[in-house]
Amino acid sequence: MQIFVNTNYDFVKYRFVAVAFSLIVMAVGFALFQKHGINWGIDFAGGANVVLKFRDQVPMDKLRADLADASIQQYGKAEDRAILIRLPRQRTESDYAGQVVARLNRDLNPEAATSKLDLNFQGRDRLTDLLATVDPDNKGTRPDARAYYAKVAENIINKRSELGIFTSTQQVTSAPGVTTGIARVLNERTFIGAFNVFGQETVGPQVGRELQQKAIWAVVLSTLAMGAYLWLRFDLMFGVAAVVCIVHDVLVSLAFLGIINGEFSLNIVAALLLIVGYSINDTVVTYDRVRENRRKLKTRATLEEQLNLAMNQTLSRTLLTSGSVVIVLIALILFGGKVIHEFAMILLVGVIAGTYSTVTIVPAVAIAWNNLTGRKHDISGPAARPKVEPLRDDTQRKRKAV
Amino acid sequence: MNRSLWWKIALIIAILVVYVVVLIPGVLSDEPIRRGLDLKGGTHLVMRVNVGDALVLETDQASEALKSQAAKNNLPVPTTRRVNPTTFVALPPPGIGSADYERLAKDYLPAFDLSRTPEGAMQFKMKPVSASAIERDTIDHAVETIRNRIDALGVTEPLIAPESGNRIVIQLPGIDDPGRVKDIIKTTAVLQFRMVEGNPGPDVKSALDSVGPNIKNEVDVLPGTREDELGRAAGVEYYAVRKTIPVTGTDLKNARVQKGRLGEPNVGFSLTPDGGRKFADLTGANVGRRLAIVLDNKVVSAPRINNRIEDQGVIEGTFTTQQAADLALVLRSGSLPASLTTMEERTVGPSLGKDSIHSGVRASVIGFVALILAVLFYYHGAGINAVLALLLNLVIILGMMAIFKATLTLPGIAGIILTLGMAIDSNVLVFERIREELRDGKTVRAAIENGFSRAFGTIIDTHMTTIISALFLFQFGTGPIKGFAVTLLIGLFASVFTAFFVSRVIFDFWYKPQDRPQTISI
Repeated sequence: MQIFVNTNYDFVKYRFVAVAFSLIVMAVGFALFQKHGINWGIDFAGGANVVLKFRDQVPMDKLRADLADASIQQYGKAEDRAILIRLPRQRTESDYAGQVVARLNRDLNPEAATSKLDLNFQGRDRLTDLLATVDPDNKGTRPDARAYYAKVAENIINKRSELGIFTSTQQVTSAPGVTTGIARVLNERTFIGAFNVFGQETVGPQVGRELQQKAIWAVVLSTLAMGAYLWLRFDLMFGVAAVVCIVHDVLVSLAFLGIINGEFSLNIVAALLLIVGYSINDTVVTYDRVRENRRKLKTRATLEEQLNLAMNQTLSRTLLTSGSVVIVLIALILFGGKVIHEFAMILLVGVIAGTYSTVTIVPAVAIAWNNLTGRKHDISGPAARPKVEPLRDDTQRKRKAV
Repeated sequence: MNRSLWWKIALIIAILVVYVVVLIPGVLSDEPIRRGLDLKGGTHLVMRVNVGDALVLETDQASEALKSQAAKNNLPVPTTRRVNPTTFVALPPPGIGSADYERLAKDYLPAFDLSRTPEGAMQFKMKPVSASAIERDTIDHAVETIRNRIDALGVTEPLIAPESGNRIVIQLPGIDDPGRVKDIIKTTAVLQFRMVEGNPGPDVKSALDSVGPNIKNEVDVLPGTREDELGRAAGVEYYAVRKTIPVTGTDLKNARVQKGRLGEPNVGFSLTPDGGRKFADLTGANVGRRLAIVLDNKVVSAPRINNRIEDQGVIEGTFTTQQAADLALVLRSGSLPASLTTMEERTVGPSLGKDSIHSGVRASVIGFVALILAVLFYYHGAGINAVLALLLNLVIILGMMAIFKATLTLPGIAGIILTLGMAIDSNVLVFERIREELRDGKTVRAAIENGFSRAFGTIIDTHMTTIISALFLFQFGTGPIKGFAVTLLIGLFASVFTAFFVSRVIFDFWYKPQDRPQTISI
């Protein structure tokens, strides 16, 4: 199967329309950023995130009353009974998420004040300590006694990890290795708490500020590095065009983030950095072809004609490779889960923007540059380029119509 | 058949075998490739060591040393005042010249520069080189102490590394009770034994009032827990304790949980020979008085000394078994030289980790299958070639990760499948080129030759740009994102190899030059 064989689209002609379109997209995106403000995630804004899974219905009213300045939203599906609590940045550095979790534990688990152990809240070390102290299976002081109880505790906590949360003592005692003696201890000395902590994050104000700077520098420097590499491999005009193209792709991706009001997180920066490196690939392939053609072309050709020829020759490759990445990204978006969802979305937009800018923005910049620098990139005929080395088996080659 | 082709095939098979062999023991074990904290569950902590604490301590000790040396040399004791963490001012009593003190300072305070304040007092400022040495030592000591504590907790494969800005990065895989671990890491655990003066009182003033006026300057008032008759906590009371600290936690040899007479948990300790001597002197001289056991500037208990104690003792207090166990642990592992402040914490519970692996792998498998189908659909026979290259690519990525003990993270899983999506690019470049050459009327062999040689430069360029950005990603990212950058880098190198070498060998194998092939499925 073949598509886009011997195409002859006049891409160059539509470049101004395309530039205008890109500008509109960016303007809409940034207008939305202006309106909503940038939705800085915890990584950059600082603050704390806590993900909790509840045994019963989520006690929203109580949580809201307890954590007045927090935003509380559902995490995953409603029947998961999990929530994400987002807390704003604090002035001082502290173990903020930890403090909040400790407070919720105190408020939502009345039994926490007793010396009973919370099977949904505490870990295997505590459980091992408890079992080894009470020693229901009479292992005594044998050296493997602690290891024996540690194994049981591990099984119980693993079971919790599988289930997400314990909802009944039945589930606890059905873990492998739980003997009747151990079950009795569990019944007497432990309880099933109201929630299990799925995750907690604190980013102090200082770390947030530093990450912000690091992210900006990483994106800016990698863009410049890309321009420098292409300048070395090709020429200055192309280096500049490539940088403009990258800036375009990054800005369009950011505009998309603004449109979906997505959270600006570390993963988004990772996606942007990848866009910087990947979206330029199409452009490299196209310009590679321009360079190759320059050696072969035997008649006059303006830069516009050279670009159109190269873009048409590489069009099917450009679309195919973007297509293969798009297939993968769609799979990641649909099935990858929450954490990589936005990451994959931004990448998808970046890849599409990268392909689009290759046939629109890059020619626009290159042609403008060429016009400003006295049209040095036009080919005035074979006489003008005497140093071209003849290519092997090029003699019979039928040159395509320009 | 061409011998060099056989060699190439042998090489590819050898590489395949090596990687598969590397992977087999991994697949059989629990963890084929090391999983990052986001998949395994665990805690990533960035703590700042407040080195100022150590500087203050050093400065205070220096001013105390000046005073005690003055007393030893029969000089009037100067009044001292700390003006900032590294500087203190000493003022001799009125009418006394400072020359003698300066001589003392030269001998006993070599780490301090002496200057004059406008008021004529002596100002001692710590030399920058001494200050930075203390800061360095403090960080090293803190890392060491934290390592001891984490080892005592039995965390497998922890990472504890100092970082610029007086920070320590701590990564603890598989932690399921982050609150407790953080408490244990952060407890300063400075243990002191100090004599109690006067009587404890409900507030600072009453405690201070109960001591004689002549020693008011020689005591600190510290809070402690008041106990009722049954030994349960019942509010706060304050103790006046001597400023001199005869015995400290560094004199401890060991500490462990034990049970008291009523079965209540407490912490028993034993002392080093040197510490034992000091403790014996202290208790021998003060039978009948109260000794405060001070932990992190709080009085844990203040038992009455019944007789001279040499090398063992018990810390009683209102502990739960867990608190007693944790206290024994931090005492065993030594005190921190300075307090710690949490700058960043990222904890992923084991449940969330399992969820992430599940959805990450599912998405990758679906993406991979879709990719294979698309390639086969579009390139037919040559598609098989690309798929083989892709599979080998996957084996190489996983094998390299196992060999280099790279960490697989959730973005890393996405990175692998994304790399495969990108790796197709190299095949597409070659295939499209071959098709183009065929359209231009080349023979099959010439088209293959030209396809590969012409596409080479382009493939290198496209890979270089992505490698550059992967390097920035590595430099920028922490944890999961670093994992992503690593898989991306490995994948890019693997992709050059498979698309260029392996795919070429497969073409050469199917369309041998001596057969003069007339058609090609592409």
